[in-house]
Amino acid sequence: MIGKYIKRYKWSYLLGIITLFVVDLLGLLIPEYTGRITDGLKYKTMDFQGVLHMIGLILAVGGLMALGRFLWRIFIFGGARKIEYALRNDMFEHLTTLSTRYFNENKTGDFMAHFTSDLSAIRMALGPAVVTTFDAIIMTVMVVVKMVFYVDLRLTLLACIPMIFIMIGGIYFGSKVEKRFTKKQEAFSKMTDEVQESISGVRVVKAFVQEEKEIESFAGTNLNNKKANLSVVKLQATVLPLLDLLIGISSVITILYGGKLVLDGAITPGKFVAFNSYIGMLVWPMIAAGDSINMLSQGLASMKRIRKIFMEQPEIIDGPECDNEITELYGEIALNNLTFAYKEGSSPVLQDISVKIPQGNTLAILGRTGSGKTTIANLLLRLYDVEDGMITFDKNSIRKIPLSVLREQIAYVPQDNFLFSDTIQTNIAFGVRKLRDIEEEEKMKLFPSRKERLEAHLESDFMKTESKADSIYQDLDMVQEAAKAACIHENIMDFPRQYSTMVGERGVTVSGGQKQRSSIARALMKDAPILILDDALSAVDTNTEEQILRNLKENRKNKTTIIIAHRISTIQNADNILVLEEGKVAEYGSHEQLMKEQGIYAQLYEKQQLEKQLEKE
Amino acid sequence: MSRKEIEYEKSIHGSVFLRLMKYAIPYLPMMVLAFILVLALTGLELLRPALIGRAVDLFTMDGTMDDIKFTAIIYGVALLLSFVFNFLQTWILQLTGQNIIYNIRQELFEHIHKLSLRFFDITPVGKIVTRVTNDVEALHEMYANILVKLLKNIVKIIGLAIVMLSMNVRIALFGFSLLPFIVALTWIFKRTSRLTYRITRTRITAINTYLSEHLSGMKLIQIFAREKEKNAEFKQKSKGLFRANYREMMVFAIFRPLMYILSIIALVIIVAVGGDSVIKGAVTVGTLYTFIQYISSFFEPIQELAEQFGTLQSAMASAEKIFTLLDEPITVKNPEHPTLVEEIKGRIEFDHVWFAYEGENWILKDVSFVIEPGQSVAFVGATGAGKSSILNLIGRYYDIQKGRILVDGIDIKELKKEDLRKAIGQVQQDVFIFTGDVMSNIRLKSDNITEDEAIQAARYVNADHFIENLSNTYYEAVTERGATFSAGQRQLLSFARTLAYNPSILVMDEATANIDTETEQLIQEALEKLMQGRTTIMVAHRLSTIQHADKIIVMHKGELREMGTHQELLENNGIYKKLYELQLAGEH
Repeated sequence: MIGKYIKRYKWSYLLGIITLFVVDLLGLLIPEYTGRITDGLKYKTMDFQGVLHMIGLILAVGGLMALGRFLWRIFIFGGARKIEYALRNDMFEHLTTLSTRYFNENKTGDFMAHFTSDLSAIRMALGPAVVTTFDAIIMTVMVVVKMVFYVDLRLTLLACIPMIFIMIGGIYFGSKVEKRFTKKQEAFSKMTDEVQESISGVRVVKAFVQEEKEIESFAGTNLNNKKANLSVVKLQATVLPLLDLLIGISSVITILYGGKLVLDGAITPGKFVAFNSYIGMLVWPMIAAGDSINMLSQGLASMKRIRKIFMEQPEIIDGPECDNEITELYGEIALNNLTFAYKEGSSPVLQDISVKIPQGNTLAILGRTGSGKTTIANLLLRLYDVEDGMITFDKNSIRKIPLSVLREQIAYVPQDNFLFSDTIQTNIAFGVRKLRDIEEEEKMKLFPSRKERLEAHLESDFMKTESKADSIYQDLDMVQEAAKAACIHENIMDFPRQYSTMVGERGVTVSGGQKQRSSIARALMKDAPILILDDALSAVDTNTEEQILRNLKENRKNKTTIIIAHRISTIQNADNILVLEEGKVAEYGSHEQLMKEQGIYAQLYEKQQLEKQLEKE
Repeated sequence: MSRKEIEYEKSIHGSVFLRLMKYAIPYLPMMVLAFILVLALTGLELLRPALIGRAVDLFTMDGTMDDIKFTAIIYGVALLLSFVFNFLQTWILQLTGQNIIYNIRQELFEHIHKLSLRFFDITPVGKIVTRVTNDVEALHEMYANILVKLLKNIVKIIGLAIVMLSMNVRIALFGFSLLPFIVALTWIFKRTSRLTYRITRTRITAINTYLSEHLSGMKLIQIFAREKEKNAEFKQKSKGLFRANYREMMVFAIFRPLMYILSIIALVIIVAVGGDSVIKGAVTVGTLYTFIQYISSFFEPIQELAEQFGTLQSAMASAEKIFTLLDEPITVKNPEHPTLVEEIKGRIEFDHVWFAYEGENWILKDVSFVIEPGQSVAFVGATGAGKSSILNLIGRYYDIQKGRILVDGIDIKELKKEDLRKAIGQVQQDVFIFTGDVMSNIRLKSDNITEDEAIQAARYVNADHFIENLSNTYYEAVTERGATFSAGQRQLLSFARTLAYNPSILVMDEATANIDTETEQLIQEALEKLMQGRTTIMVAHRLSTIQHADKIIVMHKGELREMGTHQELLENNGIYKKLYELQLAGEH
């Protein structure tokens, strides 16, 4: 998988490796030059002029090496950064294609760990590990060649025996490190998760005085993380000294066998000394080899985890039956014997539901908790797939409609009113913001301005709510129209920064009712042929609810609306009312019809009437 | 930023380091031991070439094979000692580093949980998470590696300088002439790398915040078909991080080769000055050779030092962020000498309470009322009237600016927060579900609540009906934020959670809003039983749910406007009457 990214930067890598090679070769020249100077001075064959000549050479080579060192960093480290960047983007893009089911089953904290630790481990494997690997190979080859041809083949062979152990040990420890590293990453991601949850749920924690328990539980996770780290460290603490030990054994062999060779007169003492310094020169490449084994194996472990995400196939896609000619919906919806279960084999959430909604009608769905109301909304939005033909829009099966068209043409107000950390204006315009605008806006933030540099320099207040470049690209009038229809305009105007007010993460600084109404405004802004309100007026007081319903009636003339609710007052003016009971249609018809049926709806209505009577007393 | 702030910033840099060192104090003996081991290791490193030299000497002095064997044995022993020392030193330092990291992380986490709700209102979760996880992690390298090696390198540099000076002052001084440049370059590097590093960290935090939010909001993005736009937005953020990373890399790519050039120039200076001296006969070739060897090993620790300073700087940057969070004042504090109460009965009094989240932006203006133990009170009013704030103030999640809030006649500022909050059961608007199972979401992490009690509580609020239908009933795994439960089910769970804790004061914030009428009926029943002997305070918009309250308080724009029973208020012909009539009209 990673291959395709490397391929993209193959020239960069190739140039980098060539530069690395040249730098290593040049590196051998400088000791040679200094050697020539010492020899020349010793035997008085070189005058000061000659010394200056050699100095010129040293400076030239040194300058070239410095340039080379600069270049391979740009080529290889730069390439690795580019791959990391591409991977990060592709991973996010891939995640946006995955289904709701996948996100329900996986934790945000895990994804976060993939984006941070794993990507960085992969980058290390593609950058520094590449450099150390090639450097180690080039150096080893050059040194071994010198050993064999300049000193002695048998001595080289004997002295290299420990090196074989280094290779074997490297492979053994490499796989062990990988395993422990995986555990370490998992421990870290588990800790990230726990902190994330503990902070997100801080209101519950405080209300139930669970701080002590949270801290206690975190201490366990924290300890677990420490232990996982130490288990990696234990290996690393063994590996490097062991490497040194093995290389030292090479020296011992050299002293013994090399010494014998000298005593036998097979090699000169000078060559013995040279051989020893060659052994010394092997130390760095061997350590580098160990490092790169570590980095490569950690990178590999991370790659495996990331591959798992990329292998995840999006469940909901435009299939072969998709008809790209469909570019808009008119708002006629039909459910035909709709049956659905979230998991295969488990009991169905919806059973045999058939309803037709003509274009421009309003359908209300009523039912108790867990009766499958929200599931219908989820299915209309095609967050889950149903059997072909069970849901049709304008007589086209839902699968025939391109996914993007389907969702563009449906405006939805979800139960949990999720707002992004952004201005209210941007949040309301969420569904209609143009790609170009977003790019323009982000571009403004891309380069560190003088301000950002200064801030980076003085940064101390990370709590400061950032004031974004005020969204000058969005049509404020339209946003205000939507906000007025959702009865949130006046609240927004009461905020000090009005439409530029930042709402916190998940919009914590605004009340539940305000969030809900912002969410309604966001949906109205789309002006789509189909609108689904999923229990969207629950946190709104009756007064406002009435007003919103009136606005809707006006705004949604000739457009299809589906209202899921509990309150009769919210739904009684709908053209048709669908009462769900344990996933099945219990009752269906207009308010008058259902009243005549004397069923659940009529009972509910009477109950609420009774309450009214009571209030009158 | 004013000049004053800049100076203030400068003055705290030193203190950041000192504060970091404080965490190392308990481990000082271990760190000293590691330092000694490192010095011993350096000694052994120097010994090994000397042993080879001895072997060479043996050849010229007609040594025997036995002498060589003896040398090899000493070498072997030195080798084994190196191995042991090296292992011990790494292990000790890493263990110390991990321990310190553990402590800092724990302290940070504990501090965060002491902060008032206000902090969480205005700080994104992602930022806090990054502090506890990644920023603390960045300190590890400093404790585990940098500190000791920094010392070692300083010792090495001083030692080499002394040796070189004693050999030949002139050559040595010429060799040192580059020191100002090295120091200057290092200083520039330090500054630049620190700046780029900070920009990088800021952008990492930004992208993490973005990711955490957008991954949890993915459903919404897909429903609104915003994938393309969000991808573009993410790409831009990602590019911002990439540029920062690239800039950071460039700083290193430029600095390292520059340092190398300086070392080459130093070498050249030594060769020129030394060569001249050799030609004039002032020094021997041997001395020059040694100088050439030394000058390169003189530069090594200096370069390492620069890099270690770099790591130290980035650790300091993280440390500053951590300390900023640690210094975040705990605004809602426990009193020094809290009034201890056996049992809170539930009399609540607001005595001319003024409250604002910020400055003079009053949310509550001069609010006074008394609720007797066992009474049930309903707050009524438009959104933003201040009802939710009153509920939050009773549990002292925020401190008021003027006036007093009394529980059982005691100012809540005199009570321990834990005692106060334990007596209050809160049903919140946003039901937060923790990862775990249904059972753990009712009991939370408390050991005092048995499983039976939890099941009873669930039964009491009629939550058992849907729980029993789950395939693993009470042990059904729950994912993050309870994504698999409907709002009503989550609401029921939160009721059970509240009931399990058996509070004497019950606080409900629009709690019945998301439950269908039928279920609401069941909950009403449960509540009526529950309200017996408990003070109940609720905020709801449906008049039907509040008409049975002993007292109704009407809030309007932060002021208490009306107070009384349902009947009294209707007769009063005020805001309540209006709200009531609108409700009636709305149902036609």
